[in-house]
Amino acid sequence: MAPPENPPGAGGDVARPAEVSRRGFLTQGAAAAAGLAALAAALSPLRHLKEGDLPTAEEFLQKHYKEMTAAEKARVLGRIQEQVKKRYGVTSQVNDPPPLDGVEFVYGLNISRCIGCRKCVHACVAENNPSRAPEIQYIRVLEMEKGSIDVETANHRYDASQVPRPDKWYMPVQCHQCANPPCVKVCPVEATWQEPDGITVIDYDWCIGCRYCEAACPYWARRFNFTEPQIEPDQLNPDLAYLSNRPRQKGVMEKCTFCLHRTRVGKLPACLEVCPTGSRKFGNVLDPTSEVHYILKHKRVFILKADVGTLPRFFYYFDERGSRYHDPLEGAGQATHGEGA
Amino acid sequence: MSFLRSFWVPLALLAGALVLVLDPVPFVSPVARPVPVPDWATNTNPVRQPKLVPHYVVAGFTYQCSDCHRIIPSPRETQRRLTQHTDIELNHGLNTRCFNCHHPHNRDAFVDDFGEEIPWNQPQQLCGKCHGPVYRDWEHGSHGRLNGYWDAGRGPQLKRRCIECHDPHHPPFGSMTPAPGPDTLRMGPSLPPGHEGRRDPLRIYSAQAPPTASH
Repeated sequence: MAPPENPPGAGGDVARPAEVSRRGFLTQGAAAAAGLAALAAALSPLRHLKEGDLPTAEEFLQKHYKEMTAAEKARVLGRIQEQVKKRYGVTSQVNDPPPLDGVEFVYGLNISRCIGCRKCVHACVAENNPSRAPEIQYIRVLEMEKGSIDVETANHRYDASQVPRPDKWYMPVQCHQCANPPCVKVCPVEATWQEPDGITVIDYDWCIGCRYCEAACPYWARRFNFTEPQIEPDQLNPDLAYLSNRPRQKGVMEKCTFCLHRTRVGKLPACLEVCPTGSRKFGNVLDPTSEVHYILKHKRVFILKADVGTLPRFFYYFDERGSRYHDPLEGAGQATHGEGA
Repeated sequence: MSFLRSFWVPLALLAGALVLVLDPVPFVSPVARPVPVPDWATNTNPVRQPKLVPHYVVAGFTYQCSDCHRIIPSPRETQRRLTQHTDIELNHGLNTRCFNCHHPHNRDAFVDDFGEEIPWNQPQQLCGKCHGPVYRDWEHGSHGRLNGYWDAGRGPQLKRRCIECHDPHHPPFGSMTPAPGPDTLRMGPSLPPGHEGRRDPLRIYSAQAPPTASH
């Protein structure tokens, strides 16, 4: 055994700071080694990083949608197409349809006719590629007591065997595409904006996921991707658009876009196409021959939460008479449309 | 003891490293598995598929309505129980007579207010005889279904006719089974006490408790 350098009691007790004792060296060395091990362990999740989990330089440097030139846009659309192919094995078509001139979209919903069957909810999900697990749905169908319009106590989880239930009425709520949208005002990075045809859109690649817009929306129309969205490849709709239904990533907001990949090429939105009662109406309000123009001019129309001043482009209307809310339902109870039975 | 006293920092760090590497408490996602959506929920077909032609199918053969009715005259008063067409039960409010709608002489057509014929494929002209305001709304598009394109200049518009949603012999729109309800992470407050359970969005699924379809 080597003689101790500092025998106890030999006057060398007061070691200078620069001097390292054997015990001190061992302790600090062990602490440093363990610290490195702990750091390595803390970083160990990085081992599970897959290719594509981190953005490429090109993705990282991608500009805001409105600042991209046509060539840059085309390159981005091509890249999204490749990513969809790689991730889902689905050959898709990614478009970027521009807003149409002289068109302002307006939605009408006939609450006298809606029976609360929720087909619109699922047609929307099938069209817009939101996450299936966890579920993200743009449309909520509220069930309320007849004679009340209290959305705070409305129930959207109703689980009836048959709808409509005789003492209830139904009001589907989705993005109202406001002309004075609070969600756009609060966005700190201008990742969401109103297009000339009235649709409020999100650049999913610019969104930072702060969810201010979700808090600002009085209609609860915005949805957040808390996890990596999961979609079965066979359920992916391959007709994609940059601003609407291309697959989203974790940590970004999404919302109803009036199916702009459909409506900007003249088609009707998916929720309208599927509605069995014809409660949903859509069109160009600037066209005096359109259905929505007729509804706004001739029907009794109201907007949800008019007092908050958001000027929605989503109008609820009702019929004067002849709807199920005036006729007795005894006879109607017998007739069922057997689809779901 | 002195060993613990001098090495507690590296020991604590090593314990932390072990916890991080071994991951003894596995992460259980609160995300529910997707509820299967039945195909009918996204089917855009109307609830009825009427033929819109005056055909009657019996024993695999298709007849024109007039094939029989040309030979067999019907009495003017038809409030008795039918001996043929027994599947038809007329439950149309005050409209209790067959010939209010069907043409008394030409059974391949409907009848208008002046005894003239309405073609079988134009039922809205018939319904409009009585349902004026609804016919007006249907013509302008605030009642009824339109499929296809909102912009007629870009593609075909398919305007659904009355009897694609309403049974002419029992017109009120029937009830339906609703499609599965939402199972989303954050869609409103959880249910009132006593109603939580399979609709609780933050429930944790285990292998013992598979999700139940909600319909």
